[in-house]
Amino acid sequence: MSRRLALPVVVLCTVGLLAALALPFAHVAPNRLLSGEARSPHAWMLALAWVMLAAASWERWPRGVSVACTAVFAVALPWLLANDASLWLATARATTRVQAGAGFWTMWLSAGLLLLDRLRAWRPAWRVTTWAAVAGVTVVSAGMGRFDDVAVVREFHAQHDAFVDALLIHLRLSASTLLIALVIGAPLGFQAWRARRAGGALVGVLAFLQTVPSLALFALLIGPFAWLARQWPALGALGFGGTGAAPAVFALVLYALLPVVRYTMTGLDAVPADTREAARGLGMTRWQLLARVQLPLGWPVLLAGLRIVAVQTIGLAAVAALIGAGGLGRFVFLGIGQGATDMVLLGTLAIIGLALAVDLLFQGLLAWTERRA
Amino acid sequence: MRRAVVSLLFALAAFASHAQAVRVGSKADNEGALLGQIVLQVLRHEGIPVVDRTQLGPTSIVRRALVNGDLDVYPEYTGNAGFFFHRETDPAFRDPRRAYALAASLDLAANRLVWLAPAPADNHWAIGVRGDVARTARLATLDDFSRWVRAGARVKLAGSAEFVESDAALPAFQQAYGFTLRGDQLLVLAGGDTSATIKAAAEGISGVNASMVYSTDGAIAVTGLTVLDDPRHIEMVYQPAPVVREDVLRRYPAMRAPLEAAFRSLTVERLRRLNARTQIDGEDAGKVAADYLRQEKLLP
Repeated sequence: MSRRLALPVVVLCTVGLLAALALPFAHVAPNRLLSGEARSPHAWMLALAWVMLAAASWERWPRGVSVACTAVFAVALPWLLANDASLWLATARATTRVQAGAGFWTMWLSAGLLLLDRLRAWRPAWRVTTWAAVAGVTVVSAGMGRFDDVAVVREFHAQHDAFVDALLIHLRLSASTLLIALVIGAPLGFQAWRARRAGGALVGVLAFLQTVPSLALFALLIGPFAWLARQWPALGALGFGGTGAAPAVFALVLYALLPVVRYTMTGLDAVPADTREAARGLGMTRWQLLARVQLPLGWPVLLAGLRIVAVQTIGLAAVAALIGAGGLGRFVFLGIGQGATDMVLLGTLAIIGLALAVDLLFQGLLAWTERRA
Repeated sequence: MRRAVVSLLFALAAFASHAQAVRVGSKADNEGALLGQIVLQVLRHEGIPVVDRTQLGPTSIVRRALVNGDLDVYPEYTGNAGFFFHRETDPAFRDPRRAYALAASLDLAANRLVWLAPAPADNHWAIGVRGDVARTARLATLDDFSRWVRAGARVKLAGSAEFVESDAALPAFQQAYGFTLRGDQLLVLAGGDTSATIKAAAEGISGVNASMVYSTDGAIAVTGLTVLDDPRHIEMVYQPAPVVREDVLRRYPAMRAPLEAAFRSLTVERLRRLNARTQIDGEDAGKVAADYLRQEKLLP
C-alpha cells in the first residue's frame, strides 16, 4: 500500500468501479408496481471515470484537482440518468417508469463520501462553499425540470403539495421534541449529576423507555390523551388529543430524554473535580460555578449530544405518521402499502437529507462556539 | 404578562370555534387514503367545516381514535365490526344486508357511532391466479381451484403471514373448499401487503403463480390476475361505509345524504379503477377523488 493514495480513496474508488460494472445503473419498469429490466448503458465509461477519479486523488496533484473532479462527477451522475430516462421514455408507454438502480445509488454515495474525504484538509468555509455549490447546482437543475423523467422525481411532482406540508410538519415535530427534551432533560441531568444514586435510577428508567416499541407506545397513549382532551376542551381546541402531534411529540420526547440526560451529565463532568474545588475555594457559590465555569466549558459536549439527539429524532419522527401526526413517514408507509419503491425512496431520501442538513447546522454551531470559547 | 394572557384567551377562542369542525380520518393504506378524501371533499362541498386527519394510521389506531372521540368520521368496512365485537363466526356477517344492519346496531348501542349506508363494493380477501394459468386450467371459482390443487397441479401461492394463518383467510378457504396447500406450495411474506404478493405472482418470482388479493385491488387489472369467486361466501362482507359519531351527525344532519350518495356509486369495478390510479399511476388520492366526484356529478 503506497502512501501516495489514501486508503479511503482506494476503497471508495474500488466500490464505485465495481458498482459501475456489476450493478444496474437504472431499471425500466412497465408501471409503478412491476419491477423493470436492468439497464447499464455506460458501464465502461463510468468505470473509466472512477479510475480517473482515483488518479486525480494522487497525492502529488494539488488537492483542488481531485475536489473539482469529484464534485463534477457527483453533479454529472444524476444528469446522465435523467438523460437516459428522457431517451427511453420518448418511445415508451405512458405508465413506464425509469428508476435509479443500485449502481447509481452506490456510485452517487461513493462520490459524496469521496468528496467528504477530499475536503477534510480544507478550511470549514471552503468545505461549506463546495458542498453548497454541488447541492445548489443539483437543486437548480431539479427546479428547472432536468430530472423530471426519473421515477423518484415523478413521485415528488405527483405529491408536491403534500410533500411540502409533510416536510414542514416533520421539521415542526422534530424541533418541538428537541426543545421540550432539552427543557426537561437538562435540569434532570443536572439533578442526576448531583445525586449520583438517584441519577442511576433515572437513567435506568429512561433506558427502559427506549426499549418500548414506538407503535405500542402510541396505542397506549391514545386513551389517556383523548381523555385529557375531553376533560379540558381548551386543550382539545388547540389540537391536543389522542392522535396527532401531541402523542407523537410525547413519545419522541421520551426517546430523546435518555441521550439529553446522559450528555448533560457528561458535560458537567467536563470540568475536573479539583478545578471545581478551586473555584469553590475562591468563594464562588454553586450557581456561580455552574454559570461561569461548568456551562461554558461543558456546553460543547452538550451541543455535540444535541446534534446526535436531533439526527435520531428526525429519523424516529417518521413513525409519527402511524398516529396521524403526518410528516415524511407518510410517504414511507403509503409507499410500502402500494408496493411503490419510489414513494418509499422519496420519503426516505427526504428524511436523510433533512438529517444531514440539521447535522451540518449543529456542526456549524459547534465550530462557532469553540471559536468563541 | 396580562396582555399575553388576553391574547392567549383570544387565540383559544379562535380555536374553539374551529373545534366544532368535523375531524375526518381514514386508514393509511391506499384505499383508505382515497375513501378518506371522498368523505373530506363531500363534507367540504356541503359547507361543513372540516379538519383533514386522513391517512391517520392502521385500523387499530383509527378505530381507537374514533371510539375515544378523537375523530368524528372515517370509512370502515362492515366486516371489521365482526372483529370489533368478536362475532367473526356470526353468519350474519356473510350477507351484505345483515352484516351492515348488525354492524350498525352493535356500534350504535356500544359506542354511539352511526354507520351510514355502505358502498356496494365488497373488499374481501380472495385468491388471484395468473391470467394464463387460469385460462389453461379453466379456473373461475375456488371450487375449480380446489379441484386443480387436488389434481396435483403445480401451484405456488404468495400471501402475508396474516393471510396464511388467520382463521378468516386461507385456513377458512381450505376448510370450506376441501384443499390443502403444503408448505412448499406457499410463499409467505411476513409483513407483505397485496401489492408485494401480486407482484410476485405477476412476475413469477420463485415460481409463484397465485396470490392473495383484496377484491378491490388496483393492481389486479394491470397484472392480469384472475380473481377467483367465493360461491360459498366464506369471507365476511367488507363493504366500506362512513362511520360517524352520533352527536356530530346530529350537529350536521346535512352530511348524511351526500355521503351516502357518494358511497352508493362505488362498485367493485369503479373502486378497482380508482385504486389503480393512485397505486399504479401514482396519482395523489385527493386529485383522484375530486375527479371521480365531478364525473359522478356529485360535485360541480
